[in-house]
Amino acid sequence: MEHEFFLNAGMPTWHSLSSAMDIQGTDQSSDCLLNPSWETSADHGVHFDSALSSMVSSPAASNTNVPNDSFVIRELIGKLGNIGNSGEISPHSGPLLGNATIAAATSYNSANTSAYTTPLNSPPKLGVTMIKHLVNEKSSPNSGKPMPLNSSVAEFSADPGFAERAARFSRFGSRSFNGRTTQFVPNNAEVPYKSNLLHRVASSPSLKAVGSQMGAQESNNSPELANSQEESTVSEQIPNGETGLKGTHDSNSRKRKAASKGKAKEPALSPFANATKVAEANDNSNAKRCKPSEPDGNENGPVKAEETRGSAGEEQDAKTNNTKPPEAPKDYIHVRARRGQATDSHSLAERVRREKISERMKLLQDLVPGCNKVTGKALMLDEIINYVQSLQRQVEFLSMKLASVNTRLDFNLDNLIHKDHPIFPLDSSASAFYGHQPQQNEALNANISNGTVTQSSVDPLQLPPLNGFSDTVSQYTMFGEDDLQTIVQMGFGNRETALQPQSFHGEEKIMRKSVFL
Amino acid sequence: MATKGVTLNTNARKIRFARRFISILLKMRKTRSPCSSSSIEDVRKRSQRIKIAAYSSMAHAVGPRRAWSRAVLFKLRSRARHQSMMKRRSFGLQKKRVVVVKNNNDIIPSGQLSQADRLRQLVPGGKAMDMCSLLEETADYISCLATQVKVMQTIADHFSK
Repeated sequence: MEHEFFLNAGMPTWHSLSSAMDIQGTDQSSDCLLNPSWETSADHGVHFDSALSSMVSSPAASNTNVPNDSFVIRELIGKLGNIGNSGEISPHSGPLLGNATIAAATSYNSANTSAYTTPLNSPPKLGVTMIKHLVNEKSSPNSGKPMPLNSSVAEFSADPGFAERAARFSRFGSRSFNGRTTQFVPNNAEVPYKSNLLHRVASSPSLKAVGSQMGAQESNNSPELANSQEESTVSEQIPNGETGLKGTHDSNSRKRKAASKGKAKEPALSPFANATKVAEANDNSNAKRCKPSEPDGNENGPVKAEETRGSAGEEQDAKTNNTKPPEAPKDYIHVRARRGQATDSHSLAERVRREKISERMKLLQDLVPGCNKVTGKALMLDEIINYVQSLQRQVEFLSMKLASVNTRLDFNLDNLIHKDHPIFPLDSSASAFYGHQPQQNEALNANISNGTVTQSSVDPLQLPPLNGFSDTVSQYTMFGEDDLQTIVQMGFGNRETALQPQSFHGEEKIMRKSVFL
Repeated sequence: MATKGVTLNTNARKIRFARRFISILLKMRKTRSPCSSSSIEDVRKRSQRIKIAAYSSMAHAVGPRRAWSRAVLFKLRSRARHQSMMKRRSFGLQKKRVVVVKNNNDIIPSGQLSQADRLRQLVPGGKAMDMCSLLEETADYISCLATQVKVMQTIADHFSK
């Protein structure tokens, strides 16, 4: 496919490049090699080298080829740069869409957003066709002809003279219009809708910036688009590791914020569609709506004005659209801001922290009994503190009880064994367990009879009455039946290993049996 | 199922705790002199030891995975070390020892501790935790305390009947 791409471009250097790629021997790797290089138009050599080194696979020979290829590729990049920044724009989508862009290239004629391949296909033709499309757009801004418009956009981007026209027809700096076009699959559905919204065209001064930012835009957009999220991101979802993007995160988040509206569609499409529609004059009313809908049209200098308008428009949209999408699932890296909320990194991090805390509070609510009605962090914390204190006091109380019981009694083995049967439902396995060790039982019965003599004088507690505990203690009844059965089943594995046929430990064993059964 | 996994996990902890605790109780019962008086002081000492045994066995049952269990185990070990050192030292040296008393109440900022600080005092090892992990550890600590109380209650009921 990429060979076709290069052939269509009619550039002899492409052939050499493709042949250079062949040297590496991996078709896929060359595909990947090419694509990441386009992102960093600013740092061709550096990034491409890194991309190359990362992409180059096993053959050691390829390592030697890499520097050679990089030079070739740098030449190509330089040549591409001469063609126009728009020419570089198309490959930006490459890393993200991979084969999609190539497919887009092949499907240029289908009037999809494959337009970005077109600049390479026929740069000289663009001027004519573009003018035609401009005229068409002016006449019918709300035309339901998404297809020709899409193609016109591609042509726009390719035309070096596009900057002038863009300056004429647009006041908005939509840097990412090129990036939008790469989403050609969803664009099909979106374009008819967005056709009404056009007005964003890359302003002339920002074209170069656009080119450099395209990669950022696209890389940021594609995951968004795929998810059709309405929320802004402050995440490092830049798979290709573009360094230039770090500085643009805030602006990206601002854009994304503006982008989130009631339109659950790919917001990225709008800039593309907007770019195609040059006739702003007709869309003043739409402009305000579109601006917020513009996913990443807002950038840097020329964009700031838009952002303020975008935020205003967003408020309008917020009023109209009360649907608040559920927050995207967050992992440690990726955080999405909710709509209508601050999007700087500090507040986002704080929101993450707050949500973690509220999540944990909900867990605690389940643990602490009687906390369902309590709402609010302070009251919950009070309840939790009280509960922990009461539990600790209970432990102390029970230890006192055990201490006094220990002094007073030998183990009431007889009682323990006999009581277990009516109190706890024994499994058949439990009875089998008992039958398993008959000898020990017989041996111990003698001891038991001795032990029962001292039973009568039991005066368990001289402790001061702890009335407060009576209620809570009653809650802590014996193990539930489910618990017991599971414990029994689990305990058997331990028991049989732990038990040893020694009368010395006989008491211990029987006590364990009784406790666990 | 998640719930079943949780129950199994808590049951495993229960069993580990109970085994350890009972073995310690048996040891104590064996080591105590048969003619020991049931004075209040002795009972108090025994109860103190039993309480320590309960917490240590619970911490061992949970393992070093949790911050609070690690804190408990560390406290126990340092205390044991301190006690062994005290025993080894001669009486003469002991007089010269400087006893460091940590008084946490000195740090009360304005007479009333905040809720977070109170919780930190309750949960072992909570002083060095941020709010998020503190709540997590509290949840685990509460579940372990609950199982501890259950087991101890069962044992006490058995022995008292």
